[in-house]
Amino acid sequence: MINIYKINKEKFKSIYISVNFTMNVNREENSANALLASVLAKSSSKYNSQKEIEKYMASKYGASFDVNVEKYGDLYNIEFLVEGVNKEFLPNKEDITQDLISFLYDIIYNPNIKDGSFDETLVEREKEVILDKIRTKKDDKLRYGVLKMEEIMCQDEGFGMYVYGDEEIIQGITAKKLYDHYNKVINNSYITVIVSGNLKGYDGIEDVIRNKFETKNNSIPYSDLVYNSHKGTEQKKIKETFEESDTSQSVLSMGIRIKNSKIDDFYTLNLYNAILGATPSSKLFQNFREKESLAYTVRSRYYRFKDMIIIFAGIEKENYEKAKKVITKQITDIEEGNISDEEFNAAKESIIADLKEWDDSKIALSKMKISNILINNEKDVSVEDMIEKIKKVSKQDVIQISKNLEVEEIFLLGGGENE
Amino acid sequence: MNKTEVEICNELDEKTYKTVLKNGLEVYICKKKDFKKKIGMFGTKYGSVINEFENIENNEKIKVPDGIAHFLEHKLFEQEGANALDLFSKLGISSNAYTTFDHTVYYFETIDKFNQGLELLIKLVKTPYFTDKNVAKEQGIIAQEIKMYDDDPSFSVYFNTLKAMYSKNPVRIDIAGTVESISHITKEYLYTCYNTFYSPQNMFIVIIGDVDIDKTIEIIEENLRIYEKDYDNKKEIKDVKKFFEEEPKEVTQKEITQKMDIYMPQLCIGYKLDVVKNKEIIKRSIICDIISDLYFSRITPFFEKEYNKGVLSDVVDFDYEGSASFSHVIISAYSTNIEELKKDLAAYLKEIKTKEIDNEMFELVKKKKIGETIKKADNLNVCYRRIIESSLNNYDVYEDVNILNNISKEDIKEFLSLLDEEKQVFSILTQK
Repeated sequence: MINIYKINKEKFKSIYISVNFTMNVNREENSANALLASVLAKSSSKYNSQKEIEKYMASKYGASFDVNVEKYGDLYNIEFLVEGVNKEFLPNKEDITQDLISFLYDIIYNPNIKDGSFDETLVEREKEVILDKIRTKKDDKLRYGVLKMEEIMCQDEGFGMYVYGDEEIIQGITAKKLYDHYNKVINNSYITVIVSGNLKGYDGIEDVIRNKFETKNNSIPYSDLVYNSHKGTEQKKIKETFEESDTSQSVLSMGIRIKNSKIDDFYTLNLYNAILGATPSSKLFQNFREKESLAYTVRSRYYRFKDMIIIFAGIEKENYEKAKKVITKQITDIEEGNISDEEFNAAKESIIADLKEWDDSKIALSKMKISNILINNEKDVSVEDMIEKIKKVSKQDVIQISKNLEVEEIFLLGGGENE
Repeated sequence: MNKTEVEICNELDEKTYKTVLKNGLEVYICKKKDFKKKIGMFGTKYGSVINEFENIENNEKIKVPDGIAHFLEHKLFEQEGANALDLFSKLGISSNAYTTFDHTVYYFETIDKFNQGLELLIKLVKTPYFTDKNVAKEQGIIAQEIKMYDDDPSFSVYFNTLKAMYSKNPVRIDIAGTVESISHITKEYLYTCYNTFYSPQNMFIVIIGDVDIDKTIEIIEENLRIYEKDYDNKKEIKDVKKFFEEEPKEVTQKEITQKMDIYMPQLCIGYKLDVVKNKEIIKRSIICDIISDLYFSRITPFFEKEYNKGVLSDVVDFDYEGSASFSHVIISAYSTNIEELKKDLAAYLKEIKTKEIDNEMFELVKKKKIGETIKKADNLNVCYRRIIESSLNNYDVYEDVNILNNISKEDIKEFLSLLDEEKQVFSILTQK
C-alpha cells in the first residue's frame, strides 16, 4: 500500500505531483541521501543526461521537475516532483500529465544502473555539487546562525545534521555503495504521494498513480518513523558559543527548548511564537527592532517536530549583551502574563490568515498535508479544524505553556569592528 | 458610481480592469476567481535613481541625499510612532513595502479584511508623518539593513558590476544609500520628496484577487476624498522634471574585484547599452529571457560541457534591466573555478553572436514559454509584477504575451549584436 492524497482546486491552471520517501537516518545515511537525490535527478535509464531530461520537460510545455531534500524533525524526506499544465489550458488540449507520471516513475524506479552501480563519472561530479553546498553553508550569515543553532540543539539527532550531509562521509561514497544505499531507500521508506492543483478532467488520476507505483508495493509502516528522538537532560546554565567571522554584522541566535509537550500543544505554541517574534506585532519586532533599534532582522521560528524555538537577529557585535537582555525581557514578560489583548489578538489573526492562505498555493497545500500526516499518526487534519483549535487557545494557555520553555543555548557569529 | 472608462484586458480566463481616476491615479484590478488571498498595492513611479529634480514646492532644482526614496518608504509606512507593519498586523493583515531603482510600492495581503486593508493603505500613503526624532531612529535600523546587504555576496558582486559600468547615474549606488549618505537625511528633505513624487498622477494602485470591481473603485475614491480636498476638481497634470547627469557611453572600469569571507566565488558580466524607452524595455527583457533558455539553460550543449567540466553547477542568469535612464544586461554565475568560468563565458558570448540559431531549439524554447506563461497565472505575485511593469513602461497589461509570440530569431541576433566588448565589464568576488 502507498498513501495517495488528492487536493483538487479548480482555480489553478496546473497540477503538482509530489512523491515522498520519508525515513529515519544515521549520519552516513543522511549524507548518502543528499548525494542520491542529486544523482537521481540527473538521469534515468531512459533519459541519460540532464540535458535530455530538461529537453523532455521543455517539450511538455515547460513542465518542472526536481528532487528536493528536506527534514521533518529527525526524519529525512526525499521529494520527487513534477508540475505541468492541465490539458484544459494547452493547445489542442494536449494531455501531458500521464507522461509526467511515467517520467517520475522512471526517475525513481529505473535509474541508470550498470553492473550493480551508478555511473561513476556522474557520481563523482554530483559529489562535488554536494560538497560545494556544504562548503557554502556559511556564505549566508543569518541562515548559518540558525543552522548552527539547530546543530547545537540537536546533536546526534537526525535534525541536527545538515541536510546535505558531511564532507568526509560524502567523499567516501562510491558509485557502488550509492547503489546499495538506493536499494535501501527504495525498500525502507514511508511513501506518500500528493497530487494538488486543478484536477478537472483527471478523475482517474489516483488509479493511474496507484497502478503504476503500487507494483512496487513497498512502503514501510508509519510506526517505524521517529520524528523527535530528543531526550531531555538537566541543563541549569545557558551555554554560549562563539565563532569568528570577518563580516560587518554579527548574527545572534538563541535556542529555546519546549519541555513535556503534547501533540495538541502545537496550537498554543504557535500562538506563543507569534507573540514572541513571528509577526510585526510581536514583542521582538516591537521592542528589539522598533524601540531599541537593535536590528533590522529579528525573528523567532517554532519547530513543530522538534519542540523548540530559535530566535535570530543581525546585530552590532558591541550590542551583544544588551541584545541578550532585551530578548530575555520579552520571554519573561510573556511568562509573567504581560500580554496585551492587542498583541494576543494580532498573533491569533496572523496565524489564522496564514492557514487560510495555504489554499492559494499547490506547494503549500502539499507540504501542509504531509507535515500533518507525519506528525498526527497518519491522520489528516483539515485547515478548518486547525483554525478552530487556534481560535480556542486562551491567553492563559499561552502563559501556562511559557513555563515549559527554557533558553538552553546562545550562539554569536563574529563580525563587527576588530577589538 | 465611477464614471471613468474601464478598459478590460483578457488572457486565459482572467480579466484585468484599468481605469484612470479624476485625480490622475491609475487603478488596475486583476480578478482572480476563487483565490482566497487579496493583494492591495499603492505605488509611486519614484525610486532610488531619482535624486535630482525640480522641487514642486518652489520650482527650484534640488539634489537630495542617496537612499532617500528607500528612507521615505520606511518612514511613510509608519504613523505617529506606530509601524505600519504592526498596524496591519493588528488587523490580521500582512503588509510590506519595497523600493527599486524606479518605483516604490506599499502593499498588504489579506484573506477577509480587504476593505479595511485598502482603507488603511490609502491612509498611510496619504498621511506623511516625519519628525526629527523618528528620522534619527530610522537611521539606526536602516544602517543595520545596509550592513546586512554588505555581507551578502550576490548583492555585492551585483552592485560592483553597476559601479563598474556607470560613473554618473545613481543606479551605481545601493538603493538604501550608504550609512554616511542617510545621515544627511532630514524631515524637510523627506517632505520635499513626498510632495514632489507622491502626487496621484505619478502613482498607481494595483489590486489582485477575487474582489468586487465597482465596490473596490468606490472605496478607493471615497478614501482619496478624505485626504484630497480638491479630489473632484479638474487639475492640470504636470510631469515632474527630473535631472540626470549625462552618463558617458563608456564603462568606468573594465574589471572590479572584491574579497569577502565566503567560500563560493561569484562572477557578473555587465554590458552597458543605449537607453530605450517604454515598450522597447519589456521587449528587451523578453528577448533576454529567451536568450537565457536558448544559450544558457540546462538544455544547451554549453551548460552540459561546463557542468561536466565541473565549472558550472547551476545555470548562468542572463537578465535585462532597463528604465528611462539606464539600460544593461547582467550575466551572473558562481563557480569554484572562477577564472575558467570567466574565460569560457567570454569566449562563448563572442561565439553566439556569429552562430546561426538552431531552429529546433528555438521552437522548443517557445513551446516551453507557452506553458510557463500559463503556470504563472497560479502565482498572484507574478500577476502584480506584470501589471506594475506595464504601468511603468506604458504598454497594455497583457501585451507582453503578444511581444513574446512575435519575437523572431532575427530579434535575438540583433540584440546579441549590441553586446559590445568595449561596453563589457567583469565583477568578481572571491574568498578572502
